[in-house]
Amino acid sequence: MNSAFPCHQQKRSVTRRDFLWELGGGLGGVALAAMTNDAHAATNPLAAKAVHHPAKAKAVIKIFCPGGLSHVDSWDYKPELAKRQGKPFDTDGKVQFFASKPGNCQGSYWPFRQHGQCGRWMSDLFPKLAQRVDEIAFIHSMQSKSALHGPAMFMANSGFILPGFPSMGAWVTYGLGSVSEELPAFVVLPDPRGLPPGGVINWGAGFLPAIHQGTTLNTDPEKPPIADLFPHKDFAHLRGASEQSSRDFLQTLNRAHAAERAGNTELEARIAAYELAARLQLSAPEATDLRGESDATKKLYSLEHEDIGPFGRQCLLARRLVERGTRFVQIYCGAENTTAKKIRPNWDSHEDIVRDHGYWGPILDTGAAALLADLKSRGLLDSTLVICTSEFGRQPAAQGKGRDHNPGAFTAWMAGGGTKGGVSFGETDELGFKAAADPAYCYDLHATALHLLGLNHEKLSFYNNGVQRRLTDVHGHVIKGILA
Amino acid sequence: MKIVIAAASLPLFGAQVCAADFNRDIRPLLQKHCVECHGEKKQKGELRLDAKVHAFKGGHDGPAIVAGNVDASPLFQRITSTDDDERMPPEGEPLSAAQIALIKKWIEGGAVWPENDADKAATMDKRWQHWSVQAVKAASALAEPLGLKPELLSIDTFINASLSAKGFAMSPEADRRTLIRRLSFDLIGLPPAPERVERFVRDNDPQAYGKLVDELLASPHYGERWARHWLDIAHYADTHGFERDQLRPNAWHYRDYVIDSLNADKPYDRFIREQIAGDVFASDDAQSVIATGFLAAGPWDFVGNVETQSDMLKRAARAGDLDDMVTQLITSTMGITINCARCHDHKLDPITQQEYYSLWSVFAGVKRGEREVSAAESRRLADEKERLGKELAQTRTQIARLAGEGLELAKLIPGDSGIDMRTGAITKAKQDYHRDIPANKNVSVPSVPSVLSVFVPNGPAPIPATSGHFWDTIANRPLNSQRSTKLGDTDFAAKGHTTLAMHANSGVVLDLAKLREQTGGAAMRLTGLVGFGAAKEAADTRADFTVFVDAELKFQKLKLRKDETAALDIEVPATAKTLTLIATDGGDGISHDLLFIGDPKLIPSVAETRLTQADAAELKKLHAAAQKLEGEIKALPAPAKVYAIVSEAKPPVIKVQRRGNPEDEGAEVVPAAFTWAKHAPVALGDNAAPEGQRRRALTEWITHPDNPLTRRVLVNRLWHHHFGQGLVTTPSDFGLGGDKPSHPELLDWLAGEFLRGGWSLKHMHKLIVTSAAYRQQSGFGSSRNNAAKAATTVDSANRLLWRQNPRRLDAESLRDAVLAVSGKLNLERGGPGFRDFTYTEAYAPIYDYITPDKPELWRRSIYRFIVRTTPHQFMSTLDCPDPANLTPARVNTITALQALTLSNNDFMLQQARHLVTRLETETNSREAAIRRAFALALQRDATVAELQAAMPLVAEQGLFALCRMLINANEFIYLD
Repeated sequence: MNSAFPCHQQKRSVTRRDFLWELGGGLGGVALAAMTNDAHAATNPLAAKAVHHPAKAKAVIKIFCPGGLSHVDSWDYKPELAKRQGKPFDTDGKVQFFASKPGNCQGSYWPFRQHGQCGRWMSDLFPKLAQRVDEIAFIHSMQSKSALHGPAMFMANSGFILPGFPSMGAWVTYGLGSVSEELPAFVVLPDPRGLPPGGVINWGAGFLPAIHQGTTLNTDPEKPPIADLFPHKDFAHLRGASEQSSRDFLQTLNRAHAAERAGNTELEARIAAYELAARLQLSAPEATDLRGESDATKKLYSLEHEDIGPFGRQCLLARRLVERGTRFVQIYCGAENTTAKKIRPNWDSHEDIVRDHGYWGPILDTGAAALLADLKSRGLLDSTLVICTSEFGRQPAAQGKGRDHNPGAFTAWMAGGGTKGGVSFGETDELGFKAAADPAYCYDLHATALHLLGLNHEKLSFYNNGVQRRLTDVHGHVIKGILA
Repeated sequence: MKIVIAAASLPLFGAQVCAADFNRDIRPLLQKHCVECHGEKKQKGELRLDAKVHAFKGGHDGPAIVAGNVDASPLFQRITSTDDDERMPPEGEPLSAAQIALIKKWIEGGAVWPENDADKAATMDKRWQHWSVQAVKAASALAEPLGLKPELLSIDTFINASLSAKGFAMSPEADRRTLIRRLSFDLIGLPPAPERVERFVRDNDPQAYGKLVDELLASPHYGERWARHWLDIAHYADTHGFERDQLRPNAWHYRDYVIDSLNADKPYDRFIREQIAGDVFASDDAQSVIATGFLAAGPWDFVGNVETQSDMLKRAARAGDLDDMVTQLITSTMGITINCARCHDHKLDPITQQEYYSLWSVFAGVKRGEREVSAAESRRLADEKERLGKELAQTRTQIARLAGEGLELAKLIPGDSGIDMRTGAITKAKQDYHRDIPANKNVSVPSVPSVLSVFVPNGPAPIPATSGHFWDTIANRPLNSQRSTKLGDTDFAAKGHTTLAMHANSGVVLDLAKLREQTGGAAMRLTGLVGFGAAKEAADTRADFTVFVDAELKFQKLKLRKDETAALDIEVPATAKTLTLIATDGGDGISHDLLFIGDPKLIPSVAETRLTQADAAELKKLHAAAQKLEGEIKALPAPAKVYAIVSEAKPPVIKVQRRGNPEDEGAEVVPAAFTWAKHAPVALGDNAAPEGQRRRALTEWITHPDNPLTRRVLVNRLWHHHFGQGLVTTPSDFGLGGDKPSHPELLDWLAGEFLRGGWSLKHMHKLIVTSAAYRQQSGFGSSRNNAAKAATTVDSANRLLWRQNPRRLDAESLRDAVLAVSGKLNLERGGPGFRDFTYTEAYAPIYDYITPDKPELWRRSIYRFIVRTTPHQFMSTLDCPDPANLTPARVNTITALQALTLSNNDFMLQQARHLVTRLETETNSREAAIRRAFALALQRDATVAELQAAMPLVAEQGLFALCRMLINANEFIYLD
């Protein structure tokens, strides 16, 4: 175990062993120390687990665009909507959206063109992603069960419109365990502007053990990447060798305590947790230190750009984490809502879609396209499933200069990790108002992602208050058409 | 079903067959070839052939057998079909000709099927025999198989009986240090002080343990500890949750209610009744109203319930609301997962979808919301305020009379209010445009005796002609939209000043005789300053001000500009009867005509310059009295509010929602409970029943002494918290999907004791913690104890309780214990929760956690203000559950992040520093400090080896390193 500690001084470990000898009662104590690793493996809920079938993807990077990304202005080509520009949308006046009555039909604010070998139509909102359509599988018939941000966010993340259910990342780490002991298995990179609608519980463990909850990685380079990774600067003296001797003291106490309670594996696991924590103190700063990245990479992610840079940084961090064995990374492209009359802090463009999507478009476009390119050039795209989704779409009818919420249709896409590029699944109606062909929910997206990870979504379950709960509730079909 | 070939056409039916006997010939055939797919386990085509009733009832194609008619009997058609897809049995060889002939004969002979026991058993739904819905067994019935008298039964009787049946025995009793530590954390959630440990360890009194139990149960910290368990299953928090996670600043009353109820050992049946329908039983009792905070404790979506424009979304949000309420109530009290019947009949338990929605209709008139804690108290406060206000007015009048200070006209209108020009009523509400008040029509103002009337003026001269419109009210506060209260350099909203706002067009007639009673003067002067309260940047506007004494025009300023003022100083003769003030619009409409008078006063003309000594003394007294009254009015609290339930008397009718979809409604339901628990009738009224009556009926049904679930569920919860594991390991699921009790007889005995003890929780605690089972060691046993060794392999989960279970402190106990050890624990009880975050108001408020090192944040964790969307990172890392969930049992994890948090979190480091200070104060040598640190944190002295290890650590790095590591130690965090 000691080899994992470059800073670990041989002298101290001898001291500890000597002490242990006295305290723990001779050989038994030493044997106990040696057993700790095995005990840890036996009780560690994050130990790698057997999959249900061979996996294509080892890791997932999920890009979430909160607020409701407008599919009709971006991914979903609707020439009929453009044709009906300015014509009444709701002729009998019965439709009521979340916050408004429908205005007239409003075609895309950005022109659509065909791209790639597959000849897919994409709008000019995402010019860089448009060049990667041959790597992307689109699901155009996504729907949500709520038109409200809070419940729809919960649904997109956990499969339920209520809070309290485990998020997808929690389910994945519950189902697969962790590849790396050096880094958390499920990492979340919130938008630097703040938390998304619904807050931290979007990556909560719900009723799963708390070990499966997402660990928030601070993307501000001035702050430690993980909360409490190191003591606050008021306690700056707690660094280096003094920490090691404190920890040695703690572990000797713990080992003696455990020796008198042989068979209690929790105590061993807790001893191991402190060793893991020490390793995390080395690995987390290393994983988040971007100084070693080449100038070309930094440029690819536009790290220097004032608006695009922060999201580029999130995407680059996601790639580094996946490289180092993190199982599930969730990136938020947008924060919580506000009614302030300025660019909205997420995609919820009620008032002015050109202003707000016009701001967010290049951010998502640059970061996500860079991520796909970077993963591909490093040979990681085949084993990394990239998902991009929103909680719902936006209406084809105008709400002034903006668009209202549309739970009836939106687009999500996947790339890499065993998916087929240049394809699509499902269709919306001619206006993009409702899913028409092969309607899908997050259940299907989740079932497909789990399938690629080697998990059968119907078998991945956990008992809670009377029900064997699943990420996909009682629904979900693997979308076979987009599998490679 | 398609029959391909008519069986009767087959030649073999010519064969002679003897009469068929069902039990000899037919039943074995059915058993062998049919029942696998058409029996108890599987019912393909919804058909069962294992019992008479089912067979003749048939499947989804109708009856399978028609006596006397093989052609009409699908069973016969299917076994004789030549179509491979049709013929039964589907696999293996078809039935032989002889077998088919037997069946033909049997059907033709009338299909006689004598019923045996198996037939009868198969007709019964075994789910109704489920253990948890059977009546609780009486002590006599439990004692008999053990050959004991009922009064000799105890917890240990049952535990020992099941242990010895397996050849095991209980572990020995734990030592006293272990016991007091275990008991303290269990009952009050805090570690015992080293001195108390010492006293207990040395106590020779054989009753020492029992006395300790009594002491802890009597501690107010008991309620603080056990409230946490109840709030976990009520999923209580101090914000709404969902997208706009707003504050519930008054939710804490309910948390305190739970603490106080537990401390008072309120009988559990009453505790439940109050929480469901306290407002119905005792609407004027504050605690009973607060109790209903239980029904509102869970999350609630403001956007879906209120903000959205879409009715469909509102229906969906309301459905979620009712589901949450009903689920919380039934899982917490009866341990039935009722929510599983929302979209379809319960898959495991015999509870129908209709029954689920019948429970909705009990709460159909109930919504979450703020309400006054006590209507009586609110009335009392309002009365008190009015009384004090009157007294103050009288005192001021007396002062005015004596001192000749004059009467402030603005104060004629009570409170911060105005006179409604349409009705003459006093109103606090700000109003806006009035275009339809008849002009020059006097409206009397009965509630202010000195004001005769108000009116909207419009000519005749010398009163100017006007638009006849009016804005807001005549008020003693700034008008609606008034931007400024300054005239010249004086801000008339400041202390010591008054304003009387008279937007154009308004007039008021004052009764001088009544006013003289108050001022004591005969001849008087009207003084004040008239001007505009409009914003500087508002458009130019003009207005007029006119004063009459009786019918005589005494003052008129026409076309007053927005930036002008006009001073009033008008003689009011002793004989005059009325004083009339009139504001008019200057001929350019009423826009921005925000006229007001600063400091309008009626001053007695003859200044009383020389007060007698007695008057001077009296005046001093009056001033003091006025000041006191002002203080008292200010000190009157706003009526207390609680986040609980608000109800409407006539609730909407609830309909079944197909597949749980609010847009797809089915049959109407009426308020009712579910029939699976059969202790009392389930009807709770009809759809005309008043809202409160429904809840009242439900609470009687739940707390009925014969309810088989309520008592069992509760005693099992207590057991769970005392042993770390319930007799039933799924404390909120006593249905078919839940666990079976490890000791069903013990569970029933405890449920019986609970009733005998008058539903007293403390009685049950004492029974449990004084048992030998509770007091056992928690170790896995040494080689000396072979039985224990065997038990580790046979019963490693310790269901038989051959030892106590070691437990990790939960997040709250751990935090509280750190504070107790550092000496900083702030024991202030009750009241609003402490906020360890900064709060930023926003569409979705922002909660940023902070760790300031100050006493209000050193309170016990039960008093934390709990935010739903933003859980406290320190707490949730230590497995504090998400309050969106109903949490009957905490899950414990062990993670590297926990190790980091406990080592490095500001709170831990600050408290380690406080512990250092404490040690430095309480001891005077390094060794003494180390030993004291062990005693405080671990309730024991340091061993020689530990001292040897700690001395160099402390020498090198100071006491801080030792303190920090002790509150990270396994021994600190685990209970034996």
